[in-house]
Amino acid sequence: MNVEQRIEMEVDASEVERRQEEAGSDYEVTLESLSQWQLAWKKFKKHHLALLGLGILGLLFLVAVFGPILAPFDFNTIPKLEPGAKPVAAGRPPSLLHLFGETGGLQRDVLQLVVNGARTSLFIGFSSMFIGVLIGTIVGSVAGYLGGFVDNFLMRIVDVMLSLPILFVIVVAAKFLGQGSVLLVVVIFGVFSWMGVSRLVRSLFLSIREREFVEAAKAVGVRDRRIIFRHILPNAFSPIVVAASLIVAGNIITEAFVSFLGVGVNPTTPTWGNILANARTALLQGNWWWPAFSGGAIIVTVLAVSFVGDGLRDAFDPRSQT
Amino acid sequence: MTKYVIRRVAQSIPVLFGITIIVYGILLAAPGGPTAKFANNPRMTEAQKDAFKRSWGLDQPIPVQYCRWMGLCNPAVDDKIAGSIPSPVALIGPKGWPNFLPEALSGSTNGLLHGDLGFSISSGYSVGDRIATAALPTFILASVSLVIWLTLAVLIGVFAAIKRYSIFDQAATIFAYVGFAMPTFWLGLMLIFFFSGPGLNILPAGGMTETRTSPAFGSPDYWVYFGGHPLAAIVDLAKHLLLPVITLVVVNIAGDSRFVRASMLEALGQDYVRTAKAKGLPNRAVTFKHALRNALLPVITNIGLEIPFLFTGAIVTESIFSWPGMGLLFITSTTQADYPVLMGILLISALVVVAGNLLADIAYAFVDPRIKF
Repeated sequence: MNVEQRIEMEVDASEVERRQEEAGSDYEVTLESLSQWQLAWKKFKKHHLALLGLGILGLLFLVAVFGPILAPFDFNTIPKLEPGAKPVAAGRPPSLLHLFGETGGLQRDVLQLVVNGARTSLFIGFSSMFIGVLIGTIVGSVAGYLGGFVDNFLMRIVDVMLSLPILFVIVVAAKFLGQGSVLLVVVIFGVFSWMGVSRLVRSLFLSIREREFVEAAKAVGVRDRRIIFRHILPNAFSPIVVAASLIVAGNIITEAFVSFLGVGVNPTTPTWGNILANARTALLQGNWWWPAFSGGAIIVTVLAVSFVGDGLRDAFDPRSQT
Repeated sequence: MTKYVIRRVAQSIPVLFGITIIVYGILLAAPGGPTAKFANNPRMTEAQKDAFKRSWGLDQPIPVQYCRWMGLCNPAVDDKIAGSIPSPVALIGPKGWPNFLPEALSGSTNGLLHGDLGFSISSGYSVGDRIATAALPTFILASVSLVIWLTLAVLIGVFAAIKRYSIFDQAATIFAYVGFAMPTFWLGLMLIFFFSGPGLNILPAGGMTETRTSPAFGSPDYWVYFGGHPLAAIVDLAKHLLLPVITLVVVNIAGDSRFVRASMLEALGQDYVRTAKAKGLPNRAVTFKHALRNALLPVITNIGLEIPFLFTGAIVTESIFSWPGMGLLFITSTTQADYPVLMGILLISALVVVAGNLLADIAYAFVDPRIKF
């Protein structure tokens, strides 16, 4: 039984007494007991910004899944202007026909680009987070559970990785190893975003492995692997989820940044970063809608993710009240 | 104290060594290598490509290349130059001193451990010179932004903490959220649009000096010009500095003002603050003498950890505003596959990061009397 459930039980007990007093002693009250997840959800719902963030994220996911089907992007297709329209070098500003305006040069629809970019950018942000959290959790649990030499060795590697100027390294790795491929960029981002998680998981393991239920599991002869995955890890789950939300936000920005420097994903696959990178070309001709909407998509996403992260932190925090 | 400092310095040596290996490993893993740029050049014969590789030592096995780059192996041995050291791995230099001491002592010619970063493949200049030329613009940009950003972050954080939940505090919170979510370069682009775009057009969109009136920054001509018209030169520099500094300040202030606020709130809730108030001290004295001084302790550590990222983080800002610093040098070297320059910048910035961590720890131990050694 973990802390949250215990607190909930105390609350329940007093609630039962209160209702019994109200209704007379012979009245029986049954209160449903809540699981850790139901409890967290109950608290999460009270966090309005987090709910808003979750809604925005859900919407973005729908756009990322269905948008490219409705408005498929093909790098080699040059969009046709409607009859009678003259080409404008800087692209035309937002109108009913093109809600986000047009890009400079080929006059592509910015909305179509942003919708297609959503799929790649969200894919990169979330899947690199999964890789990072996976590596970080494995390294952290092994180091924290085994301790001793293994712990020392792994944590020195983390020290070295954290001392690297990580943005420089990612730029170099993306340029020379990424070769413009989305999957390789995901792997590179994942490989460079696990260090924080591993430190976090290690510290959680160090404290949880001393608790009585782990001792009990050891005493009845449960194998190490089962103790790590079935007994300790579920208790370390909530801080990991909160850290993961930060990684998603960070990696979406980093992707934009790496693509902006021209070493990220090839422009044949639009991402918010490489849309922005191209947006530089028409900026001084007065085209503000191209960078504004593609950058706006990044800001909205990162804000939504960090709101959800905040909500999760409060929801999992046993000290916060329901 | 001295013991603690020595121990911390000693601990960072293996970290730096690990960094050299990772830096080397990443660049080695890159397909093609420095000769990739010749792949589609029909005028290069195989013999010329081989000669290029040999002249840069790229024909040697990887451990030998690493060893030479570090300055532990002597390239003269492999090139069979008369009078060279007999062993290819020269831990002891020709003068009998360990080979990782400076050239004057050990007598060895070059290598990282002698402070020599090698030569830039694309330009032929020494890497040290190229980085030194780029370091001054980065230093100017970084230090000006740092001073403004820290002052503002502390002011906003403290004020938000004193007037908790006021309109100012809530505005600062919103600003922090948006600042965190805003990519640096996006802000840069928007600033360029507003101030250098067709509308206002009052500030330069990039560069460090006005090319029509002033020589390029850092060139000998520039210093002559600077000596002749100091005021005009400084005004020109300030104009070019304005937009990049705003970009860096706005993005970095977001997290730091939150940090100062949290730290200040914690300090304001302490018993000694209540005691000071109970004694009847004026609010101002309690806030600034008692709470602020203690609240700034964790902030110092944070600064030490952030300064290096100001230098490396300037990479985007420099690239947007064509500021001729280390970030821009790094980007151009990436596109030119200039490996020695890339390794040099990676190493030096790693050194700055390690030094920043070290200084943060030492400074913290110095200002906080509770820390025992």
